[in-house]
Amino acid sequence: MTDAPAAPPAVRARGLTKRFGQRAAVDDLDLDVAEGTVYGLLGPNGAGKTTFMRMLFGLVGADAGTLEVFGRTWAHDGVATLAPVAGFIESPRFYPYLTGRANLRLLATLDRVDRRGDDADARIGGVLDTVDLLDRADEKVSGYSYGMRQRLGVAAALLREPRLLVLDEPANGLDPAGIRDMRALVTRLARSGLTVLLSSHDMDEVEQICDHVTIMSKGRVAFTGSLHRLRALAPAPTHLITTSDDLAALRVLSKAASRLDDVSVTTTHGALALRGPQAAIDRCVITLADAGVAVRTLVPGTSPLEAVFFSLTEPEDVVPTHSHQPEPGAAMSTRTSTAPKAAGAPAAAATSRSPR
Amino acid sequence: MSAPLTSGAAQAPATGVLARAPRAVPTRGGFPAALRAEATKLTAQLRAKLLLAACLVVPPVVVAGLAGQRPPSDTIYGRWVHESGYADSLLLLGFAAQWVLPLVASLVAGDTFAGEEAHGTWKTLLTRSVSRSHVFWAKCVLSAVVSLLALLLMAVSATVAGMLLVGTQPLVGLSGQTVGSTAALELVAASWALAAAPLLAMTAIALLLSARVRNPAVGVVGPVVIGLLMTLLGAVGGTHLLRRALPTTAFESWHGLFAAPAFTGPVWQGLLTCAVWTVVCLLLARVHLVRRDITGG
Ligand SMILES: Nc1ncnc2c1ncn2[C@@H]1O[C@H](COP(=O)(O)OP(=O)(O)O)[C@@H](O)[C@H]1O
Ligand SMILES: [Mg+2]
Repeated sequence: MTDAPAAPPAVRARGLTKRFGQRAAVDDLDLDVAEGTVYGLLGPNGAGKTTFMRMLFGLVGADAGTLEVFGRTWAHDGVATLAPVAGFIESPRFYPYLTGRANLRLLATLDRVDRRGDDADARIGGVLDTVDLLDRADEKVSGYSYGMRQRLGVAAALLREPRLLVLDEPANGLDPAGIRDMRALVTRLARSGLTVLLSSHDMDEVEQICDHVTIMSKGRVAFTGSLHRLRALAPAPTHLITTSDDLAALRVLSKAASRLDDVSVTTTHGALALRGPQAAIDRCVITLADAGVAVRTLVPGTSPLEAVFFSLTEPEDVVPTHSHQPEPGAAMSTRTSTAPKAAGAPAAAATSRSPR
Repeated sequence: MSAPLTSGAAQAPATGVLARAPRAVPTRGGFPAALRAEATKLTAQLRAKLLLAACLVVPPVVVAGLAGQRPPSDTIYGRWVHESGYADSLLLLGFAAQWVLPLVASLVAGDTFAGEEAHGTWKTLLTRSVSRSHVFWAKCVLSAVVSLLALLLMAVSATVAGMLLVGTQPLVGLSGQTVGSTAALELVAASWALAAAPLLAMTAIALLLSARVRNPAVGVVGPVVIGLLMTLLGAVGGTHLLRRALPTTAFESWHGLFAAPAFTGPVWQGLLTCAVWTVVCLLLARVHLVRRDITGG
């Protein structure tokens, strides 16, 4: 059985490129989504996540490269490429003059659900129940709230019984409760074995839901690997302090830089950001107190994973640069060292250190 | 219901999903499915129903209005509207060709593509199991059907109204000859039927415009304006060749049927011109829809 061909991955992109005018929205993208994973596509706005997903759905044509979905391509298989796929791009849209249920019935017609021997109405009831819309299903979509449309979008996707669920920033625009419910729903679906490809600009969300992640920046892959590997790249946690005299504090800390070489100090908006292990932060606080500078507040700053995200997607950020080599299997874009933004940053800030 | 996701892959255990054979792709029935979906959308909206109702209701009102007035003698068959009900029908046909039928084409076809644009639903429609081509032809067929239905209703309504309100007297032909009542009815029916060709051509123009412009307002107003410009061009600046190339000219091809002897050259010429316009516009619109990137919505 060893020579049986391996099942194709849910998604495989090679050298995928899409330009809008001069700008490459997706630029030479390689990506593999293995079946059964919950895959996060993470990137700031404009990174090219939506454009990639539009290409996956055949809404936008690629300028170069290949994109296979369960081994099928748009060029060769046409709309059959989509057979195992469902999801939505940006906010899902429906016909406002039809009810939620009528919209789903319309989509079931297009999918020829009846032909497959399934009872379309029962299925529609089932998916409406899943997304908790049964009691509003017979109202026109024009009266739906944003969150209800979002949930109807999930229902419309589930109607296809997909093997791959593609969701483009599904929590976008939802209120906190809506975000919580959406994440819970995605997690529940993922646990049932569905492959999920989810885009997000929120590291937190990806950390909660996904087990694999590709970080995109300006259309390119900045990192790809498991969340476990991404955590390994994360720098030490940051703490923000405010003091009785920030300038004096900076002076004190840079003078003591030799003793505090595992801490980096940068100024941010009206506070000092200290990055380093807990013990070193403690030493900073003591040093400041000894020098007569009072520490007024001390709060945790950007989470380590978020810090990696920013450092990968905003090369000019204050996060210390990495000379770190990625773990085997994890790919990371080459990055050049950049000086910290903060003008008054002491020498310690520029010290290149391992993020661990 | 207590158990959500009662059916389908989503609740199967992981191994079950992985072991499952890839879903059978519904390769057949894409076009009928798309047609049914388009019909659902059309019938759910008031627009088409209002249009068809107007086609039925307005002609009798106009015929009744004409009865109490001095006949509009500057229009073809206008001066005979008190003499024969068939003249009323033909007068309405002339008026409809200039103003109403381009509007019908626009209202029906102009919105089919631009409406998806306005609602941002292209992505919803095109990420199911029907190809763009199927969606395109479904929209075309449905637009054509509704346009033709509007024409049929208008023809029947105008002719019956004329026959009932004015009468079935013989008609004076364009060469001054007398056309018997039965023959007149046949010729009137043929005249209305001939309007189908330019109507379909105008519908195709509206579809192309709607597909390209992506703005419902332009998609609806555009074909009306184009229809008027074409009529104007044919009437004033028109060389013979230009007139023959315009689809709107075919709206007048029935005039020859009422001459003695009748001549049908313009009829065939009009059919040919309209067929060319229809095919070219539809193919251009199809190429555009199949190739374009859907980035909105
Ligand atoms: N239709 C379009 N025309 C021109 N540029 C576009 C279009 N769609 C996207 N872009 C550009 O492509 C880049 C990627 O956009 P997008 O894929 O929407 O990113 P994301 O979803 O990650 O926010 C952006 O710079 C955006 O401005
Ligand atoms: Mg996006």
